[in-house]
Amino acid sequence: MKSLRITVSLLAFACLALAGCSKSEPTAPAVTGAASGPPVTGDWLVRHMLSDPEQLNPITSNDAGASSVLSYLFETLLDRNPVTLELRPLLAAALPEISADHTTYTFRLREGARFSDGKPVTAEDVLFSIKAIKCQQVNAPFVRVYYQSITDAVLLDDQTIRFTASEPYFKNEDMLGGISILPRHYYDPEGHLNGVSVRQLADDDPAVRERAAAFAETFNRDFFRNPVGSGPYVFNEWKTGEKVVLDRNPDYWGYAFPEIESPYVDRMLFRIINNPDSALVTLKGGDLDMLGLDPLQHLRQTSGARFEENFAKIRYYSPGYTYLGWNNDHPIFGDPRVRRAMTMLTDRAGMVKSILHDLGTVINGPIYKFRPEYDDTIQPYPFDPDGAAKLLAEAGWKDTDGDGLLDKEIDGRRTPLSFEIKTNSGNDVRKRVALAVQDSMQRHGIEVKIREVDWTIFLDEVKNRRFDAIILGWAMGVTEPDGYQIWHSSQIENRGSNHIAFRNSRVDAILEAYRGEFDPQKRTAMYREFQRILHEEQPYTFLFMGESVVAYHKRFENVEALPIGGVVPTRWWVPKERQRYVTETPAP
Amino acid sequence: MARYILIRFLWMIPTFLGITLISFLIIHMAPGDPAELMAGGGLGAGSGVGLSTENRAAVDQAVVQWREQFGLDRPLHEQYFVWLGHLFTLEFGESFKDHQPVWNKMAERLPITILLNVLSILLIYLVAIPLGIYSATHPYTAMDRLTTVGAFILFSLPTFWVAILAIVFLGGGDFLAVFPPGGLHATAYSESWPWLRRAADLGLHLFLPVLIMSYGGFAELSRFMRGSLLEVLTQNYILTARAKGLTERVVIYKHALRNSLVPMVTILAGILPALIGGSVIIETIFSIPGIGQLGFQAVLARDYPVIMAVFTMGAFVTLVSILLSDFLLTLVDPRISFGRRSAS
Repeated sequence: MKSLRITVSLLAFACLALAGCSKSEPTAPAVTGAASGPPVTGDWLVRHMLSDPEQLNPITSNDAGASSVLSYLFETLLDRNPVTLELRPLLAAALPEISADHTTYTFRLREGARFSDGKPVTAEDVLFSIKAIKCQQVNAPFVRVYYQSITDAVLLDDQTIRFTASEPYFKNEDMLGGISILPRHYYDPEGHLNGVSVRQLADDDPAVRERAAAFAETFNRDFFRNPVGSGPYVFNEWKTGEKVVLDRNPDYWGYAFPEIESPYVDRMLFRIINNPDSALVTLKGGDLDMLGLDPLQHLRQTSGARFEENFAKIRYYSPGYTYLGWNNDHPIFGDPRVRRAMTMLTDRAGMVKSILHDLGTVINGPIYKFRPEYDDTIQPYPFDPDGAAKLLAEAGWKDTDGDGLLDKEIDGRRTPLSFEIKTNSGNDVRKRVALAVQDSMQRHGIEVKIREVDWTIFLDEVKNRRFDAIILGWAMGVTEPDGYQIWHSSQIENRGSNHIAFRNSRVDAILEAYRGEFDPQKRTAMYREFQRILHEEQPYTFLFMGESVVAYHKRFENVEALPIGGVVPTRWWVPKERQRYVTETPAP
Repeated sequence: MARYILIRFLWMIPTFLGITLISFLIIHMAPGDPAELMAGGGLGAGSGVGLSTENRAAVDQAVVQWREQFGLDRPLHEQYFVWLGHLFTLEFGESFKDHQPVWNKMAERLPITILLNVLSILLIYLVAIPLGIYSATHPYTAMDRLTTVGAFILFSLPTFWVAILAIVFLGGGDFLAVFPPGGLHATAYSESWPWLRRAADLGLHLFLPVLIMSYGGFAELSRFMRGSLLEVLTQNYILTARAKGLTERVVIYKHALRNSLVPMVTILAGILPALIGGSVIIETIFSIPGIGQLGFQAVLARDYPVIMAVFTMGAFVTLVSILLSDFLLTLVDPRISFGRRSAS
């Protein structure tokens, strides 16, 4: 239950981080061996969803289930090439023009883009969408946070909009490009926000407060199950607890543009099945075409000729990692040699094998493996107890009183090498990691206690740095990384995210310069140095990044995993002779 | 009689308030903060989007605002009285998750839960009463022992376990494909199907859930039936009936059965609350969009207004069914009279 909660919240955040790549078809379809002939449309994709989405308003929704549905219904100004991860225009005609001081961004819209009701997508709709986010009364506080530095937006003409940011930051382009564009005529039919400026909404200007409230009242309440966007699919129905149905829009505007790859499957049917065991049975029984598997299902329940006759599995890395964080302010862990020794006493490869069942890989830093910023010349510290013992001896830790525990004089007191690892209860992987660490350390004269705490209480203790060591995870973006929030020393106080209190003046300098650097090559060079410092310092023992497994029905062609961390069902298609479902056209 | 019902009804009020108070305290004091859950655990988006200190503060501010909006910043007793005040106007508030009135969410799911429970009760009575009659008319025979042991074995099997087994072995995975593994309708289901086909589809989907919800009730009810009938069969009037030369069939079904059915009515009150609890498990395992599933998901999300509404409804139904069965008892058995107790 708790692990579910965490997974969901991590996913929700991963989705926020991924907002810029919600629609992700590459321009050139890769050719797979078995594909026969050119792709054809038709058939349904029946996929699994663990519970109902909360709601289908892209601005106010805040959960992973909804975002997977919304990504087929709504589009953004820019999206990412899922292979190269580069930004490219979608509803925009081109990448934005950025002013020399990097504070204004001018987007020109693509001629010909239309909402599913046939009305064109204009700059007015873009302006409306940012207004809906900035409107203080709209129920989107956790989305609004990301657009705090956007202070104004004005229309230059019907097709052009200019955003103003309060400070230069290289990720502004990505964030602005990632706004879901809503049709103004549908979401604000009364025109409450007409004539209200973004600046007024951002400042919560009393003059417009009443109109903003009138808008928010209907916007928060009336659009939770009837989304209209410009995406390749249109919303058909949502039966609570049963299914959400999306139909391919045959009039999708993207068909007119060869560089916009459009989907083939006629219907995306999300079946809501609360229970992973029944979901697997449903898949095997043929009533699901796609299902995410947990490690044990992957290992034990989805193999053999009978399964493989109809289904195949595909694996991909889930952007995110688990770490063992050392409280750098703790008398034991203040010394980087001790932290390095801790890493060398942690058998990470063994953990990936026995705890993750090989569904994962050891990592040695906070950057996603497939990013250009990732420094693959750094070798992870091996599991090396002897090397660790030497490092600890160097740092002054020896067993002087013969009780089997290493000790050292700290502030005139003999302190044994003993500490507590905290983690949240209900997460089996983290618990097993803690036990493995405890076992390994105990063999080498270090006493480790383990304490599991409920998630919200754990969170509070982490934010207030009431721990010796913790096991926790971060969801990673696949977009340009920015480690400021986690590694800059200004984020230690005030319950910031540098909760292990890592302090390094060189890292601070890199992180500050990095945010204002607009040359990707220079940013990469900066981040490679940053990774090398982290490697030396070992503020965390970076553990591993997990892999996800998806089972899918073999009638689908062109199924592949992408470095972006997933599969792209909009690229899937089924040859005519293998198609299974036909959408009944409603009687006239 | 009317006075008795009125007094019983008035006594329900403090019981009901007590239940709501305890439920309210338990769910609000359970660990887990809905605002923090909405904020995604409050730890930020990892290295994907860099939040400056100013933004970090904004997340905290958003959490505070959110709490204010839903009144979660007020002392617990105040929150309870606000909730109670709304209850008197039959107002359950809005769900934290989608801002829809809780009433609408319940109304949407209520029919299916009622259907599930009505079918379950029918099945329990249809199986248990004949079973009990058979045992009573053939006491201490091998068949009597066998059915009794069988019923108690069923009684001891946890429903969640049986449900999973049924799904795995009968749901069309690696074993038999007899029943669908969950849900209410087939994947290709369409409203345009003929009436009969839709009903058959629904029946097929409800078979396992109803059966699994019911089997635990067989033991209790059939044992009651057996005991009650055996007791009646020792009465003098049965002896008289037999002495008159009536056939055993008439003795049992005309004279004995009627009187032995009296306790069966009261048991209804005991079964109903258990079924409500059971439907949480069954609906969740079989992915049936009923009230139980709604309640379970609300608990996971700490959606307080929905949890309270589901609890309140459960408490209300339980209390009313207890009252109802007392009332029915006076109807079926004229000797039982609560109203004139002081006069006798």
